Amino acid sequence: MPTAVETGAEVLLPTSEDEAVAAFGDGAGVTVLAGGTIVVPEMTYGYLKPQRVLMLAQAGLDGIARDGSRTTIGAMTSVADLTDLPSPLGLCAANVADLEIRAQATVGGNLCAPQGRDAPRGDLQSAFLALDAQVRSVGAGGERTDPVETFLADRAGRLILDVSFEEPAAGAFARLDRPHTHDYSALTVCAARTADGTVRVAVAGVEGPAVRLPSAEAKADDPAAAGAAAVSDATFADDALASAWYRERTLPVLVRRVLTQLQEAA
Amino acid sequence: MKAVGARLPRYDGVAHVTGRTTFVDDARVPGTLWVKALRSPSHNADIKDLDVSKTEAMKGVHAVVTWKDVPLLEYGHLSALGIPADEPLLAKDNVRYKGQPIAIVAAEDEETAQAAVDAINLDLEEQPPLFDVRKAFDSDAPVVHQWGNWYPHFEGEMDRRQIRKGSIDEAFDRADAIVQGVYRPAAIEHVPLETQVCQVVPEADGRLTIYSCTQALYFSMGVVAAHLQVPLNRLKFVGGTVGGGFGGKVDTATETMCSLLALKSGRPTKWRWTREEEFLCSSTRAPWHMEIADAVTKDGWILGRKMLTLHDSGAYSRFSPYGLTKHSFHHTGAYTIPNLHFDGYVVYTNRVPTTAMRGFGVTSVSFAVETHMSRIAKELGLDPFEIRLKNANRKGDTSPNGIVYTDPSTIPTILAVADELGHELPADYRTMSSEKREGELLPEHLVGQIGNSEDH
Amino acid sequence: MKLTVNGVEHEIESAPLTPLLYVLREELGITSPKVGCQQGGCGSCTILVSGEPRRACLLAVAAVDGSEITTLEGLGTAEALSPIQTAFHQHYAAQCGFCTSGMVMAAHAYLENGGGTGRESIQEALAGHVCRCTGYVKILDAVSAAAGGEVASNQRWLPQPGEEAPVEVPGAPA
Repeated sequence: MPTAVETGAEVLLPTSEDEAVAAFGDGAGVTVLAGGTIVVPEMTYGYLKPQRVLMLAQAGLDGIARDGSRTTIGAMTSVADLTDLPSPLGLCAANVADLEIRAQATVGGNLCAPQGRDAPRGDLQSAFLALDAQVRSVGAGGERTDPVETFLADRAGRLILDVSFEEPAAGAFARLDRPHTHDYSALTVCAARTADGTVRVAVAGVEGPAVRLPSAEAKADDPAAAGAAAVSDATFADDALASAWYRERTLPVLVRRVLTQLQEAA
Repeated sequence: MKAVGARLPRYDGVAHVTGRTTFVDDARVPGTLWVKALRSPSHNADIKDLDVSKTEAMKGVHAVVTWKDVPLLEYGHLSALGIPADEPLLAKDNVRYKGQPIAIVAAEDEETAQAAVDAINLDLEEQPPLFDVRKAFDSDAPVVHQWGNWYPHFEGEMDRRQIRKGSIDEAFDRADAIVQGVYRPAAIEHVPLETQVCQVVPEADGRLTIYSCTQALYFSMGVVAAHLQVPLNRLKFVGGTVGGGFGGKVDTATETMCSLLALKSGRPTKWRWTREEEFLCSSTRAPWHMEIADAVTKDGWILGRKMLTLHDSGAYSRFSPYGLTKHSFHHTGAYTIPNLHFDGYVVYTNRVPTTAMRGFGVTSVSFAVETHMSRIAKELGLDPFEIRLKNANRKGDTSPNGIVYTDPSTIPTILAVADELGHELPADYRTMSSEKREGELLPEHLVGQIGNSEDH
Repeated sequence: MKLTVNGVEHEIESAPLTPLLYVLREELGITSPKVGCQQGGCGSCTILVSGEPRRACLLAVAAVDGSEITTLEGLGTAEALSPIQTAFHQHYAAQCGFCTSGMVMAAHAYLENGGGTGRESIQEALAGHVCRCTGYVKILDAVSAAAGGEVASNQRWLPQPGEEAPVEVPGAPA
């Protein structure tokens, strides 16, 4: 059969969260297959030749729960299911790819997505950074709940169970759009303000996972100055989607836009 | 004539909308082997060693083909027109572009075929690559082709496509201004939804049935027959159903190699490029470098044009000499210029070979000419519509290659554009037609130079 | 594993990680889903899983074990086209035909979900589908016409055996 994925990989198909956690263990040698929008083509093209695949399709782990102002999202929740959530997460999710991909891609996959060969991945990471989300995961050393910033910096060998965050007082989203909608966005900038006035700004589409922009946050009251300052916080990706040069010149504009939106939402 | 102006059903429409159209990839042939190619990882290198012995011995591998197995290794896309060939079907002494096929393998399935390709021993000695068409003319540019850095086989063994008309020196002497511009449109990938694909079935009578996505069936048949050195009646092509081509499927990219593997293995073979192969290794529309200098009067007449065109052919010639020829014939665009001095070169680089794409050779020059017309208007402070109407082709004018226009459409087209955009025009422009020029529209300097085709 | 494809149940022998696209094409011989990019970028392989459009190249077959799958072969036949198929045919929305299978399936799901005639919502529904021939205008026209009920199962364009193809002249009285 003309496919490179007819490998003898061992496939684990847990039917509950407990089974998934047990099957994942310390994560050594396990490839997690959630929605499949990244892993399946990587296998098709022979870039990924997994030995053990943990397929989460039947493991549950999905759903959105609200408890007062706190929202908790299961790792297998589809990106499509987030689109009605408050900004920046809802808007950011609505702008990921197209409706078929959004219905299949998952929150967990987006947070674990490695940088692509030709394009950045993981738009939602910037929204979760802006929301100061907490990631609950398992792996070596057992269950852990980390700020998303900590998680993104050290996510190898972790299986995400859910992500949670406090509803922000205001949120804003801007992206460097591409002509064809299912292109990954070249840059995604999200910002949120908490009830106590703290502003967080983050960008996806940079080298590696998404990052916060502390220099921009420090000047949040002056959107233009914050935009200019943001450049020093990021290392720009240089790929088929956009050059680092272009991204560097676009980031200040996007930062200015989201902070202006935040001001207008006041 | 009842079909003219009527809405007729597409002959293939019902099959398309019911999913019943059989594309090449949909042909079901039991026992088919899967084909993969060892492609050059280098942009420019000499081949020091190519050893396929390990691959040939692998389980599941039925045939491996290298340049040694090709009866006629070099056959050019324009060989049928008597133009010499420069591209080997499979690389022999060197590779000139990243992705160039070096060896091909037929195996039980795609995974085995890829493993077989990975097992081929290839030893390359890197050479400096050349990617920019303009740099090919620099004295320190690496020489990247056996014929030098540009094609030397135009008629009379000219190394360029050359057009001379009128007296360019006189035009430049009389000009009020010289308007110059450099235009460099980039390569474009065709991106057909159906990637390059081919299925070959060796029949009991010794013939080959070739399911092909070619845009040019009889042309491809000739190319395969030439490489294989067999008469045409040994080949049965099944084609006509192309999943998008746009010019990118005239190169006979897969048929010959699949045929060689089918003959060597005695089994049906199929090769379907991945999307990555399509992007990285298939031919593209050419990048171009065009320099224009126009001698103009202050009221907007173009007296003469000097133009240098460099057509990036990529690593080999393919159809580029033909594309450049079309380009040269159109280098005045939809306008008439009495004095011309055009030099065009087909230049080699280490990019993938370039090929036809919708309006082969002409879209580049249309882009340059139209941009340049607006630039002239801007530099002279004139209306961009008026300058176009003034210099528009009219009945009796001649093209750069001496064709007399009998029904030019420049003026009605520009008037229609002005209407659509709501652009106001003075009455004498608004009432222009394509009839021969007279009165103010035939100023002294043009008398005897344009609009009087019998003088040419 | 089991799949019900176009109403017919099949035992599946392919390996569990095999993309659904290859299971359909190679194991079951259902060829309307096309191999365009094998990475979810073009939409040529879109099929319906429980009525919802999905890219068959991105789904490991084990992930849809037991599901109801619909491909273009499961909509209408040449003798009885579905409204969206008729609309594609009448509006010349299929040119080379390669993207058509996926495009029609996505459009069919859009209509089944109550999609209207608005260009923007149709564009949103078809955003993941690439067509290099038509420039999309005819496709949008077709989906809009089907959504507006302008085509039912109009078969005037299907020449019957021995008949000349009917000719429609724009502006002529019906």
